[in-house]
Amino acid sequence: MAIKKFAFIVEKLPYKSETSRLALTHAIASQTVEIYLEDGDNVEPVIAFIGDGVLNMLKGQKALDIYGVTSLEMHIKNALLLDLRVLVCKEDLDRYGLTEDDIVMDAEEIGGELTTEVVPYEKIHQEMESADHLMFF
Amino acid sequence: MAKLTIGCFSSLVGSMTLDFAVKLAEAAVKKGHEVDLWLSGNATMLGKTRQSNFRDYSYLAGTVEELIKTGKFQVTICEACGKARGIDKEDVFEGVKIHSMDWYLASAFSADRVFHIGGE
Amino acid sequence: MKLVVFVNEYKEPPILDRLKAEKFGIVFVQNGVYHTTLKKDGNSSPLLSKDAELYALSEDLESRGLSADKVDPKVKVINYEGLVDLIFNDYEKIIWL
Repeated sequence: MAIKKFAFIVEKLPYKSETSRLALTHAIASQTVEIYLEDGDNVEPVIAFIGDGVLNMLKGQKALDIYGVTSLEMHIKNALLLDLRVLVCKEDLDRYGLTEDDIVMDAEEIGGELTTEVVPYEKIHQEMESADHLMFF
Repeated sequence: MAKLTIGCFSSLVGSMTLDFAVKLAEAAVKKGHEVDLWLSGNATMLGKTRQSNFRDYSYLAGTVEELIKTGKFQVTICEACGKARGIDKEDVFEGVKIHSMDWYLASAFSADRVFHIGGE
Repeated sequence: MKLVVFVNEYKEPPILDRLKAEKFGIVFVQNGVYHTTLKKDGNSSPLLSKDAELYALSEDLESRGLSADKVDPKVKVINYEGLVDLIFNDYEKIIWL
């Protein structure tokens, strides 16, 4: 019986490629991984946005209206709704002049309770260190 | 002997990253290790039947078929990524499995090493 | 943490400077191998000054017409088999940049 922590680190920008979306959907897939595992085993995911990747977190994305694809904003809200921890690097937000007002901080509108954690890079480094496996997107 | 799970999202043709993943898998299997290869995004094309072996394009199906025969190698494509590209059960060659994304996480769970090659 | 990072392009990945580990390795693959052989304006790639064990993949050097004897002496040239050993024996976590 074991819980293994997987860190999904997102550094790529959204939409031009599907990389950051796949990070979210793979992380969310941790919700159903139990069907393949022994009783008591599970995956504990954490998602962290660093570097340019913090731009995935911007509010007001209209990709669904314009291109017909689910926005990263919606995927992030889904992750929060499913109680996945979402971290975003404070230094990188600062670098782009962004604050908590500019990014997805919660999924209240769809009933989510967890909120985004804005943290220093050092905290994300610690998450990478304590993870059993790293998936870097 | 140990288990390596490789996840690759890069396209079969147009990038050499999937070639890297398959060569690494081949080297690991030759050394007696077990390898799971998870293909998501454009990498799902690797499972497609009827690939032509032209020298100007990456051709990995032959190597993958040989690796499957060793019994130490599994290749699985992401169901949703495949379907989005018109790839279903009848479109993949023998030995290629199709699962949802949680399969990859389960494979990683029991792996000694995870080599995740994100997209480009 | 024992972390090995794969650099696959001939440019400096922006995030590389922030990654750290007790044991840190950089493997140059694909177009990343140019870092190990070329000098720009007479200067070696800044990536070769990182506090890390440095490796280059021989198959990717040879594919590009780069000879192993032109590789900077700080860099160890390994093949795919060596890479498998490196992954299993020397490092625990892997990042493909």
